[in-house]
Amino acid sequence: MIRIESLTKVYKAAQGDIEAIKNLNLEVDDGEIFGIIGPSGAGKSTLIRMLNLLEKPTSGSININDINLTELSSVNLREARQKIGMIFQHFNLLSSRTVLRNVAFPLEIAGVSKKKRLKKAKELIDLVGLGDRENAYPAQLSGGQKQRVGIARALANDPDLLLSDEATSSLDPESTKSILELLARIREEMNLTIILITHEMGVIKDICDRVAVIEEGEIIEKGSVFDIFAEPKTPLTKKFISAVIDFNLPPGIVKHLKEERPGEMVRVSFVGEKTHQPYISYLVKHYSVDANILYGNIDEIQGVPFGTLILDLEGDLENVENSIAYLKSEGLNVEVLDNV
Amino acid sequence: MFDLVSRLSQYNNLMWSGSLETLYMVAMSLFFAIVLGIPLGVLTTITRSGHILPNKYLNFILDGIINIGRSIPFIILMVAVIPFTRMVVGTSIGTNAAVVPLSLAAIPFMGRVTDNAILEVDNGVIESAQSMGASPSQLVFKVLLPESLPAIILGLTLTAISLVSYSAMAGAIGGGGLGDIAIRYGYQRFQLLIMLETIVILVVMVQVIQRIGNLIADSFDHR
Ligand SMILES: Nc1ncnc2c1ncn2[C@@H]1O[C@H](COP(=O)(O)OP(=O)(O)OP(=O)(O)O)[C@@H](O)[C@H]1O
Ligand SMILES: [Mg+2]
Repeated sequence: MIRIESLTKVYKAAQGDIEAIKNLNLEVDDGEIFGIIGPSGAGKSTLIRMLNLLEKPTSGSININDINLTELSSVNLREARQKIGMIFQHFNLLSSRTVLRNVAFPLEIAGVSKKKRLKKAKELIDLVGLGDRENAYPAQLSGGQKQRVGIARALANDPDLLLSDEATSSLDPESTKSILELLARIREEMNLTIILITHEMGVIKDICDRVAVIEEGEIIEKGSVFDIFAEPKTPLTKKFISAVIDFNLPPGIVKHLKEERPGEMVRVSFVGEKTHQPYISYLVKHYSVDANILYGNIDEIQGVPFGTLILDLEGDLENVENSIAYLKSEGLNVEVLDNV
Repeated sequence: MFDLVSRLSQYNNLMWSGSLETLYMVAMSLFFAIVLGIPLGVLTTITRSGHILPNKYLNFILDGIINIGRSIPFIILMVAVIPFTRMVVGTSIGTNAAVVPLSLAAIPFMGRVTDNAILEVDNGVIESAQSMGASPSQLVFKVLLPESLPAIILGLTLTAISLVSYSAMAGAIGGGGLGDIAIRYGYQRFQLLIMLETIVILVVMVQVIQRIGNLIADSFDHR
């Protein structure tokens, strides 16, 4: 388990100090894929780079399996780092080494014999699906292939934890998808804990179990990916989600609709088996309101159906309010859109 | 035409031994540039602030040594170190004596070239090795040097070429080699043909060194 306690990072700069991470606490369970999302400058890279002490915390502690990394001597820290793999946005492969020797590199550092490390490296290259490219140099590979090498390399010392700093941010959507699938697969096969940072909610939606939203060095929202998508609380989280599931109507249309009729516009999100229930027709029959569907979408998060509807409920105020109450009582997540 | 060739060929022995002397001086000083200049450059880079072993004071001293060495014109350096040369070689005349000032010029030159080459290694690559638990010496020998090898070889080529021209200057104070011949025959006795011939040989020498350097650097360059 990873336990981050009161972690703070202050950069000293000429224009004054920058508090990049502010007294941050976080726990990540074994075998979990934990996502950290935030806007540019939020402190994501600072945070993940502190997890293997590439960046030295100003204060606070980082405990991995009950070992406090911040208290280790430099020799012990190097040893601990061998069990923490890391992959990077720009891959950071050694250009002077072939794929095979790049993957064997961490083993070389750890002092593993040549025969053993080449055998292990070959296995890993097969695992990431690059079996035929082991003698290529990084410059001869595509971005997606380079990241596969990066992943194979990060796994060489059988780490317990894999850190990913925007690993898919410089890849095209197709490669992103296959790299995310690979990460999900190795988590299953190697029982690995993965902490990844990203600025794309799509990455979170595709492979994370839990997510923390970080803004200006602080976690502003945290929970299972499912809960966060179903009930985002902060405007920032809503903004991130809307990039994946766009349930915002163009403002012009909203204004037009609001002017014309009495009633309310609501956003309803519903999960799991609720996606199969005929709520709308019930609403229309029993509350004498008209429900006009302006937008509808159904998606899947962690294998569970997840739907979003934007309804324009027409009718007198009391009926509209009663129908909203009804939807809520059925366990749906209802949000009245006042001034979208 | 035949006349010219036969007139030139009468100096063959002279030119041959002059060329060998020049190559000897260049090779010896290049050897010291590699053995002392490359470590000097490596230490200068890694002690820079933000690099793998930051050390303000050591960096100040090493960087200072390189700058001072590089700022003294060779012709002055050559004369200024004569007492030191006598101490080391026992004489201030001849090719061995010339190797001393040549090496003293080549070491800081190679130091700066190495420093520049290693600074070019991507910080992300260094960090990725650190994240795997690499020690500073592993970083130097497994990351910094291999990754900058093509640039270091090109730098070595540059140093060798500078040494060819410096060695000609060393000839002026009795260092031997092609420079010595050019001065003694071409300048003092005004034998223009000899002067020309040394120039041609020096030009060819520089061309060949550059070609070889490029070839070796390319063979290590996989970027
Ligand atoms: N070495 C540094 N020196 C000074 N300030 C820094 C340094 N590194 C980061 N910062 C500052 O710390 C804050 C957080 O930066 P960080 O790189 O962690 O953000 P990020 O969330 O990774 O952003 P991005 O999505 O753009 O990569 C920013 O204000 C940044 O300017
Ligand atoms: Mg970043």
